[in-house]
Formats: sequence, structure tokens, C-alpha cells
Amino acid sequence: MTPFIILAPLIAAILIIALNKSYKNAKYVAIGASALSLALYPLAGSGVQSTTWFSIGKLSLTLTTSVMPLNALLLQIVLVIGILIMVYSAGFMDLPSEQRRYYTEMLAFEAAMLTFAMAGDFIVLFIAWSFLSLTSYMLIGFWYDREKAIAAARKAITIVFIGDIALLASIVMFQNIFGSLQFSTIISGIASGGNAIVLPAALLFVAVMAKSAQFPLQEWLADAMEGPTPVSAYLHSSTMVKAGVFVTFVLLPLFQAAGMLQAIVIIGAVTVAIAIFAATTENHIKRVLAYSTVEELGLMLIAVASNALLAAVYFFFTQSFYKALLFFSAGGSIKANGSEDLRDVAGLKNNRLLYITTLFGVLSLAGFIPFGGFFANVGLDSAFSTNLIAYALISIVSLTTSFYIFRWLFLQTKKSGGKRGELNHAAMPRSMTYSMAILAFGALASSVVFFTSGLSQAVGGTSAGMNLTLMHAVIETVLVTAGAVAGYAIYRQKKASRLKNVQPERLMHAVYTATIVNAAYTHIAGFVEAIAVAMEYLDIKLNSLFDWFGHVTIRAAGGARRFASGSINAYVALFAIGMLVLVIVMVTA
Amino acid sequence: MLNVYLFGGLAALLVIGNALLRMRGTKRLQLWFNIVVLAALMLSTYMLSGLAGVYFNAISINQFSVFFFFLFTAATLLLNLLAHARSNGYSNFAMLTSFGLVGMYLVAASTSLITIFLGLELMSVPTAFIVLLSRRESLEAATKLFIMASVAIAFLSFAMILVYGSSNTFSLQAAQQNGVMYFALALFIASLGFEASVFPFNVLLPDVYQGSSGYATAMLGGLNKKVGLVALMQVLILIFIAFKLAFVIVAWLAVLTMFYGNLVALAQNNFKRMLAYSSISQAGYILIGIAVANGSGLGASIFQIFAHAFLFIGAMAIVAWLESKDRDDINGLIGLYRENRFAAIALTIFLLSFVGLPFTTGFVGKFLIFLSAVNNNLVWLALLGIVNSIISIFYYAKAITAMYTNKLGSYRLRLDSSTLAVVIVCLAITILIGVYPQPVIQLANAAAGHLFSGATAV
Repeated sequence: MTPFIILAPLIAAILIIALNKSYKNAKYVAIGASALSLALYPLAGSGVQSTTWFSIGKLSLTLTTSVMPLNALLLQIVLVIGILIMVYSAGFMDLPSEQRRYYTEMLAFEAAMLTFAMAGDFIVLFIAWSFLSLTSYMLIGFWYDREKAIAAARKAITIVFIGDIALLASIVMFQNIFGSLQFSTIISGIASGGNAIVLPAALLFVAVMAKSAQFPLQEWLADAMEGPTPVSAYLHSSTMVKAGVFVTFVLLPLFQAAGMLQAIVIIGAVTVAIAIFAATTENHIKRVLAYSTVEELGLMLIAVASNALLAAVYFFFTQSFYKALLFFSAGGSIKANGSEDLRDVAGLKNNRLLYITTLFGVLSLAGFIPFGGFFANVGLDSAFSTNLIAYALISIVSLTTSFYIFRWLFLQTKKSGGKRGELNHAAMPRSMTYSMAILAFGALASSVVFFTSGLSQAVGGTSAGMNLTLMHAVIETVLVTAGAVAGYAIYRQKKASRLKNVQPERLMHAVYTATIVNAAYTHIAGFVEAIAVAMEYLDIKLNSLFDWFGHVTIRAAGGARRFASGSINAYVALFAIGMLVLVIVMVTA
Repeated sequence: MLNVYLFGGLAALLVIGNALLRMRGTKRLQLWFNIVVLAALMLSTYMLSGLAGVYFNAISINQFSVFFFFLFTAATLLLNLLAHARSNGYSNFAMLTSFGLVGMYLVAASTSLITIFLGLELMSVPTAFIVLLSRRESLEAATKLFIMASVAIAFLSFAMILVYGSSNTFSLQAAQQNGVMYFALALFIASLGFEASVFPFNVLLPDVYQGSSGYATAMLGGLNKKVGLVALMQVLILIFIAFKLAFVIVAWLAVLTMFYGNLVALAQNNFKRMLAYSSISQAGYILIGIAVANGSGLGASIFQIFAHAFLFIGAMAIVAWLESKDRDDINGLIGLYRENRFAAIALTIFLLSFVGLPFTTGFVGKFLIFLSAVNNNLVWLALLGIVNSIISIFYYAKAITAMYTNKLGSYRLRLDSSTLAVVIVCLAITILIGVYPQPVIQLANAAAGHLFSGATAV
């Protein structure tokens, strides 16, 4: 039954294209397909299945799907969040003409992510990986009449495809080293790889960095906010960016054997540092959340690489709920205010349900007891309890995270001014607020999972990084409360409306490295283009040089000049030079 | 034996029929004639597969030649459709291509250097005229192509003489290693390198590709250069298999060709020219498989030749259609999605397949090539190939993004039926073979295996 879980959204995507004029039904098809996929999940069974795709001589390429506990966890997250996203979209995406395209792309995206969740070997991984890139590119550039969306999509596909190609390179090398591409075979035979696995493992991590937006490849994710809000919610909570981190969960022994754990921690730490500064100074309602995702992904990687796998997996699990929730809330605010700038957004309290659910998300992200985020943070803390410096740094991160998310909240709760969007808060469609309510419940209920044994079974029985001590709990609570109080003091209701003209980010620019990275990206792209232009210039120069010789000859010959307008001489000359070099090489050999 | 006569008879019918129909000047009738005869040729190619052997002391029917008979015929059929839609002088095109096709058969089935030489001549002379007649401004391109082809052919014949002088035979068999043969090897690589668009012997090609009409470009990149690669493959493997240096040089030429193609493609603003450079870089990937110089490497190269032929013809079909609306510039792609969804999506798939999207032939081909390189201790070569794939993303993304960018005042554009047919066929091959590549991989491997058995038997 496993393939049907993937096929349901895929077939529905094709069906929607065929729907032609009756676009109104597209959302029902999409919700139905997601529900069907979820309903089929219990039939998925468990274990590893292989089928041969094609074979070349002795070598055969197999497609392996795996439904081990860890895969099952991701499958459940993708399916549950997936259906909520579709329901939310039914209210959010009210522009009729674009609905068919939207749901087609969303369902294809869901299918790609489901495939990824079941990947049992590198071939399936690569297939899912590239289709994730492709579908996310289409979704980020969904508003293709907006110039910024097109630029963002192009940046995303460029960076993400670099990861894809790095993955392909690592796959080819793993095949050579292990003679198999199945995860289980590779992990069990890891010792036979020796030092040869370092390069492919590093390339694999480049792919992870590209997908999970880690330094220096993080900027595409913030720009990806140009896509519709439900897309951002899906992208950030359960799909796409989680894919990279998930690969490190599954292939942790590989990175361990390649001795890359320290490098992963360093990259994660740099990413976290950049992300929290960016999130604190950002004024775009969705970009704050985007940088916060980047931070969380960095923390997950740090946890994985510091032997706190269980903490990382729990973080991975609970983050899906509150992050989707916060994006949903942001979508509501954007619709009600007609603006994506936090300084213009106001009146969140006008809709009680919206406000309370948002508060759930904020409390969970900040790490208040008894929300999921609290246990995730404490899990992380306990992993570092022996290393004081690391513990101090993690504490600063907790404090800042709490501060910026409350800033985000308080800026939205100010009294609404004159400007209004297409909807007012009270008229928010039920499909939006109800799906948020379910997620708010999830953000709270996910903390129960912390006390069950299911999660530790999923990661193979280890309970590393999951000892809840009173001291950590107290420290964590003090930190996040301090952050929240600071946020309240600076951005509380009365002051918030006056903050419009104050720009704290000016101050922060000294440490706001995101701009530097962005500049670097531009420089690299510029550098590549400069090389290209130089090549072209050289081409022309070479031609004109040969032209000069050529024209002398042609003038002597007369007539034919118009035919062979010079550059042919360059070509013949280059041919001759190339051949001469070959002859010299051959004769000297 | 009868089937061989049938095949030869059909080829003769194609040439004579085209010559006669050209005099009548009925364009539509001639198209149908070509479609029917070419389809019959494909069918009879299929029937040839059991008849391995050498006929008339010149034509070798084997898995290698039959594979390419089929590929060249199918590609010619598609090009006929394209030319019919785009060209004012379709009759000329059909006649000249039928000569060229016979030349291609000779190259694929050759047992000696003489037939390779004849085949290449028979192909490249009509090609120059096709380029010349394809559009008004193509005189310059045709002249350049003709001059360079003459230079290449001159050196090719010189190299052949050297082989004869050294080993007293023109037949394709492993040669003794001596100074003369090394000299001949250099000349072969240069002259066949021109035919196969290998840097630095190919630098005029983008001029020619850009200067000729879209369907002629499709023919050059999708068919003629593939024939050049086949000839290069045969000469290197059958004659120079023992010359280790030859394959080291091919590896380096592969690197140069890939970098040249991709880096210059980055700077292009003319989409057709960009595709021209991209097809040069694709020739570089194919050379990697030849440099590996064993069955799996060659099999991968042959698969990639197959894959790229259809990808390039499919992409150029759309470009030729755009060109007929004066939109072959990269800015001409802007708004294509609004104007014709099918064309935009198809072109996107072709471009992504060039990069290596799974479930398309481009992925399978690249994967096989890189895998064969890595399995034969050429990890550096595979990595450089992958670096090139990364570079190529930058310009393919530029083109793809343009298609989905909105343009004011866009209206629906229709694809004409011939172009539509060509695009659908190419797209179907790209996706179907991409999803289920096993049969073609087997055929390609059998072809490579046959070439190799010929190399080691002597």
C-alpha cells in the first residue's frame, strides 16, 4: 500500500489540471486527496521494500522505500500538517483564477515530500530531493507577476540545485565505495569505507545545508517568503527545510564515521548566531519566522552532532506544529491588514480565536512550560549540561528567541490604525481559524510525546539528551520569561504604535551579517558572470586579432572578404593551434 | 540477407524519391513520402537486428550499427517534420538530408576508415548547403562551416594515409604503437573532434548554430555532431585502444569542452546561442564516457547520445517556433507560460533534463556517465563534470525563470501541428525512457560491448 500514499496526491494533482473550468472544486479535490493519503497511512505497514529500477551489467539500481519508526514519524507529520494546510488554503487562497495551479503544485509538493519521508536508499532520496527543489521553486515563484517573487524563486532554485548536484556527486561516490546505495547496507558496512567516505559525506552535507538553509546557503529561505503564506507554512514546518535535517538523523553514523560532527556543530552555531540577529531586527512579518526556522534548524543540527539525537528528533517533531501555527497566524494578519510589514500590522486582538491560538504558538516557540518548545529546549540544555560555555551560549539563544518572538507578537497587538486589508479580523474564514485551533492543540499536546517511549524507540532506543532535571527547567523558564518581559517592556501596546519611526535595526546592522552574506551571494554570482564576460571578451579579442591577419590575406585575395567576414581565420587558427599542441604532446610522449 | 537488401533498397528509394519529388515541387507529398519511407526504414532496422555480419565487404551490421541506424533515422524523421513547418525550401532540405542519412549509415556501419571518410563527407557537404539554404542571413555561417569542414576533412585524409603507411590497411583494427601512429592519432582527434564539437576544434559552431535557422541548428546539434561522436568513438576504440595517452587526452578535452561550453553559455543573451554552447558542454559529458574506455563508459556515452539527441531536437523545435516570431532572444522567452503553457512546460522539462532531473533521460545518462568514471578511478573527472553541472544551473535557471515571468499584453500563441508532434515525441521519449530506461540501457550496452569485442579480438 505504500505507493498509494504518494499516488493519492499525485493523481489528484493531475485530476485538478483536468478539471478545466470548475476551479471551485480544486480545493475539495486537494483536501480529499490529502485526507485519503492520511487514511491510507495505517495500511503502509512497516519495513523495507526494494524494486529494481534499471540495471547495467552487474550493477543494478534499486528503488527502496523504508517505513521504519523514524520514517513513520515524518510521514505522520507531513500528512497531518498537509491536510491542515489544504484546509487553511481553502480560506486563504481566495483568488479564483489561480486556484488550479496552486493546488496542483501543492499536491505535487506533498507527494515529493511523502516520497522523501519513505526514502530507503540514495536513489529515492535524490528523486524526492530534486522534485522538492522543483516544486518549491514553482511555489516560491507562485506570484510570477511580482518581480521579487521571480528573483526569490531564481535564487532558491540556484542554491537548492547546487545542493542537488552535490548530492548526486556523493551518491556516485557512495556507489563506488559501498557497491550499494541502501541506507541500511551503507550504515552497516560503514567501517569498510575508511577515509574514502570523507569527501562524499562532505558533499552530502553540502546538500543538507542547501536544503535546510544553513550558513552560508541560508538566504534563499528568507527570500522564499515571497511565496503564498500556506506555502511558507508547509515549507517551514514539515517539509523541504526539514528534509536536510532528517537526512542527518537517518545517516548520523555516516557523518560520525567521516569525522564531520564538529564541523556540523560549527556550521550550525554560525547559522544560529546569524539567524537570531536577523530575526531580532527584521520587520517583515514572515521573515522573522523564516529566520527563526533557520535558527531552529541550526539548533537541531547542533543537537544531532552533539550526540543528543533524541532531543533533536523531539525538537523536529514539536517545531512542526507551532511553526505551521505561527505562519497561519501571520497569514491571517497579512490578510486583515493588507501589509506584510510588522510596523503596519495591528489589531491581532480583534479576533479572539486568532489571538489565543497565536499566543499558543508564541509560547511554544519561546519555550514556556508546558508547551512542546519548552521540552525541546530543556532537552537541548541537558545535552550541554557538562559544557558550560556551550550551555551559556544556548541560554543566550533561548533568551533572544523569546525576546524576538514576543516583539513579533506585541507589534501585532497594537490598536489598528486606519489602513485595512481585504478582510477584517472578525471575518476571518473559519477554515483558517479552525485549522489554527487544531494546530494550537497540537503545539500543546505534542509535549505529551516527550513522556512516552515512542520517540526513543524511533531513534533506536537511545534516550540521549532527554533527561529532564529541575535545574534546567527552572533556568529555562527564567530565561524565556526574561525575554518575554524585555519584549513587553520595549514593544508593549502603547509604545508599539509609536515605534513606527524608530529603527532599531540601524543599530543592529553592525552585527546583521545576513546583509553581508547576501552581498557575498551577489558577488559570487557577479564573479561567475564576470568570468563568462571575460571569456566572451577574449573570444572577441582573439577574433579581432586574427581578423587583422585575416584581412591582410583577404584583401590580397580580394572579393571573398564579404563571405568570410574575418572570424573564420580565428577558428582555423585555433583548430591549427589545438592540433599542433596535440601533435607535440603525442610526439614527445 | 533479404532484410539487408530491403534496408538498402529503402535507403536508395529515399534518395531517389526525394530527388524526383523535388523536381515536381510538391512539398506536402514529399513530406508524406519521407515520413513513410523513414518509418519503413526504422521498421526494417528492427528486422536487421538478428542479421549480424559484414555485407559487401563494407557494411557491418551489428548491435552497434543497428542502434545508430535506428537513432539517426528517427532523428531525421523528426527533423523532416520540423523543416516542413519552418522552411521555405523543404524540398531541398529533404533531398540533402536523405544524402546525409546515407552518409550517417555508412559511418555507423563502417568497417574501414574509407567508409567513415565517405560517410562523413556525404553528411557534411549537404549539411553546409542545408545551413546555407535555411535562411537569408546564413551565408556567412555556411561559408564558415564549409571551410572548417574542408580543413577537418583534409587532416582526416592525411591521418588515414598515415595509418595506411604504418599498418598497410584502412580497416578499423588495433594498430601498433609507433611514432607515426601517435602523429595520426593527434590528427584524428583534431579532425574528428571538429565533427564531434570538441573544444578547441569547434569554436565556430555557436556562430553556425546561431546563424542558421532553428531546424538546421536542431539537425547540427541533435544529429550531425552525434555522428561525429560515433566516428570518434569507433576510431579511438577500434584502432587506438592500446594507446593509453589517447584516452588521457580525451579526458582533458572533455574537461575543456565542458568548461568552454558552460562558461560561455553563461554570458549569452541569445537563447539559441545559449543552447548551442550548452550542447557543446553536453558533448563534453559524452567524452567522459569515451575517456573511461571500457564497456560501461561507452554504454553510458551511447545512452547519453541517444538522450541528448531527442532533448536537443525537442528544445530546438520550440526555439525554432519562437524564432519564427523573432523571439529567439532570452527576453523572447518572457511570458511564454502565459502564451503557451504546453510549450513552456515542455521546454522547462527539456532544460531540467539537461541539468539532470530524475525520471528524465538526462538524469539516467549523466548518472551512468559519472558512475562509470568513478568506478574506473576517474573521480576527478566525474567531479569536474558535476562542477560543470552546477555552472549550467545558472543559465538554465535564467531561461526557465524568464518563461514564468509575466509580460504585459500577452496573448495566446498556438503551436503548429508539426512542431507539436515533434515536441510530444521528444517529450515522451525523455520521460518514458527516463522512467523506464532499462531497454535502451541494454541496447546501448550491447552496442558498446560489440564495439569492444571488436577492439580486443584483433
